[in-house]
Amino acid sequence: MVRSGTEHTPDRQGTAGSPAPPDAGAPGTPPPGPPAVRIQGLWKRFGQQDAVAGVDLELPAGRFLGLVGPNGAGKTTILSMVTGLLRPDAGRVEVAGHDVWHDPVAVKSRIGVLPEGLRLFERLSGRELLAYVGRLRGLPGREVDDRAGQLLGVLDLADAGSKLVIDYSTGMRKKIGLAAALLHNPEVLFLDEPFEGVDPVSAQTIRRVLERYTASGATVVFSSHVMELVESLCDWVAVMAAGRIRAQGPLAAVRGDASSLQEAFLELVGADRTSGEHELDWLGGGTR
Amino acid sequence: MRTPPTTPPAAPVAPRAWSGRPAPGPAASATAVFVRLKLALLRGGLRQSSGRRAAFAVAAVVSLLLAASQLLVLIALRGHEHAAAVAVVLAVVLAAGWAVVPLLVPGGDETLDPTRLVMLPLRPRSLVVPLLAASLVGVGPVFALALAAGCAIAVAHGAAGAVTAVLAVPLTVLVCVALARAVAAANIRLLTSRRGRDLALLSGLFIAIGFQFVNIGVEKLTAPGGLALLEPAAGVLRWVPPASAVAAVRASGEGAYGEAAVLLGLTAAAPVLLLWWWEHSLTRLMTSPDGSTLRAVSAPSRRERAGSGPAALLPAGRSSTVMVRSLRYVLRDPRTKAAWATSLGIGLLLPVVSSVQGNRTLWTACWAAGLLGMQMFNQFGQDSSAFWMVVQTVSSPRDAYRELRGRLLAPAAVGLPYVTLVTVGSAAFLHRWPDLPEVLGVALALFGALLGTGAVASALFPYSIPQDSGYKNVAPGQAGLAWMSILGGVFAGALLCAPVVGPVVWLHVTGGHAWLWLALPVGVAYGTALALLGLRLAAPRTAARLPEILTAVSKG
Repeated sequence: MVRSGTEHTPDRQGTAGSPAPPDAGAPGTPPPGPPAVRIQGLWKRFGQQDAVAGVDLELPAGRFLGLVGPNGAGKTTILSMVTGLLRPDAGRVEVAGHDVWHDPVAVKSRIGVLPEGLRLFERLSGRELLAYVGRLRGLPGREVDDRAGQLLGVLDLADAGSKLVIDYSTGMRKKIGLAAALLHNPEVLFLDEPFEGVDPVSAQTIRRVLERYTASGATVVFSSHVMELVESLCDWVAVMAAGRIRAQGPLAAVRGDASSLQEAFLELVGADRTSGEHELDWLGGGTR
Repeated sequence: MRTPPTTPPAAPVAPRAWSGRPAPGPAASATAVFVRLKLALLRGGLRQSSGRRAAFAVAAVVSLLLAASQLLVLIALRGHEHAAAVAVVLAVVLAAGWAVVPLLVPGGDETLDPTRLVMLPLRPRSLVVPLLAASLVGVGPVFALALAAGCAIAVAHGAAGAVTAVLAVPLTVLVCVALARAVAAANIRLLTSRRGRDLALLSGLFIAIGFQFVNIGVEKLTAPGGLALLEPAAGVLRWVPPASAVAAVRASGEGAYGEAAVLLGLTAAAPVLLLWWWEHSLTRLMTSPDGSTLRAVSAPSRRERAGSGPAALLPAGRSSTVMVRSLRYVLRDPRTKAAWATSLGIGLLLPVVSSVQGNRTLWTACWAAGLLGMQMFNQFGQDSSAFWMVVQTVSSPRDAYRELRGRLLAPAAVGLPYVTLVTVGSAAFLHRWPDLPEVLGVALALFGALLGTGAVASALFPYSIPQDSGYKNVAPGQAGLAWMSILGGVFAGALLCAPVVGPVVWLHVTGGHAWLWLALPVGVAYGTALALLGLRLAAPRTAARLPEILTAVSKG
């Protein structure tokens, strides 16, 4: 069953379009003030395809927020438009109450970004990369070097700090990218598939740092298609498919009666779980 | 868990041919399969695009025409007193080419990479003959055959010479092919590692600089009596395979049969040794851990703290941070390094070559300014998608101005002393001190103009530089943009120099030579003004187009 952005099951009706109030017992109760991100009527078209087709979304501040969806759902496109890396065709995006496209000074100093599929300045060492980014952000040199040293230590990169980023593994790249995104202590952190291709040890390190960061009242928005991860990390989720938001709200509300977020997600995006079951009946069970 | 065997299991009996048909027999099949694989790879490569087909056809025709003309020239050289020296040196150059080209063009022949065959149940020893046979397929071996035949014909006299030539020519080709295989196999770890790819990216630089030396060499050799210069080298090289085969042909023609036998024996020993080395490398490659493990061990240990060294002397701020980053890329990024080193090298070589050729003008020193100034073009394309990190930190035209100023200061910091040094050096070398002020003035005006137009072109016409290929400087579909940016920019830059060049010409024509020194201060001031104007024009456009620039430079 596929539901459009305006068609939702009754138990999630309240969560689409206008977000449900945060559940009282949720950890990290959001501070009063504007939402971390407010998106209104966001559109982006590539050629004949609507990558993002009229998205309205309000992400509360001070939470660990998950943006989930299958490959090609438009998660990266939305995050790129929210962080000023891609210009939308239509719509409005506010981060911490400031318009991304009209007030970039206020927005860019408040956000940290870890995009997926974009390079870093890989011919710099990890330490040099952080020093470079911190100084571009206008932080004093000594402060940058101190923060960089601490971040490298916490992210288990201290020994690799003087190695060129191009020689880093995927996990190390994600960690140095995260360090660069955290260096200026942003209010809102946007992470696109931060755990993609990362080994369990690095994933645990990243997770520990993110949990510490949100505990201080900051907001993390991250995209993923690994439901177990989202379920264990996030207290608020938005489900995307085919460029639209299918559901949004506190984790429990979006999960509804389903046994897991995975089940709820498959139902929301309309995945057919039975196709192909009988087509590979020759596979397995020894040589035949 | 099972431990993987140290050597792959025995060869399969009948690998299937690429056509889907089973190969005819176990013994001959591997050779046939690899020859067919080479042909299939050639065909597959050609099928990718009509442009590639056309390029292959043109390259093949040009190579064959070159081979044929060399053959004719060598036949014409028969009887010339220096024919033997020419033939011997040519044979060595041919072998050196076979050894070096696969290193510079690692993707040129996919069958050269034996690590692709590691997962197949084949023993390294059983691969040697099939891979060697596959190497003999292609335009390259035909070219080598024509050249080797030409060398042999140039020096063969009498029946003994002819008989030796019949042995010498195939041996020469075999040595070349085996050398290419052995060198490639011994270096494949390097070639497939990041450092090897970095080195391969510098190949353009070697070719550009090498071309200048070839230019000088050809000039010297084609002068009357120039070929005599080869004699001392040929005296030594005749003992080096495969040139020893050519020397053997000559020796047997002159009746020195003992010497001919020794020389031919040397040539015959070479492929045996090369094949042994190759098999040894193959075995090591196919039975030891791959390059990713080794690379970590050989990783450089950089101990410097960020912000230390000369960088610490610069004032704090975005521009100096960006400038230091740009200069680090000049040293560390092979593409940027190649572009800069080519500019610096050619900028220095052109005045030298020009003076060797007898031109006593100082104006060739302007090349240094022109080539270095062009490094300012497509600044953001050089970042590729890492430009997002810049986008995240640019919020206003002021930020963009500081960013561009840092990027401009990098070539300026190197270019100003370099252009001055080259011009002053040329003036000293050519004893043309009176021309120095006007030439330096125009050169610096040109440098400033190119830095300024480069900044504007970077903002208006960004394009991506594919990071995975050393031979493509533009992503597909953006070639027009790149040409427009560079040609338009260079043309505009040259045109912008008119206010300095025009008066200099006018003073020459009207005999006002006493005032020509004014070109220096005017050129410096005008060049600085143009560079600053370029920054002023480019900054607001950059700030306004950040997402569009990022999209343009992230392609490919």
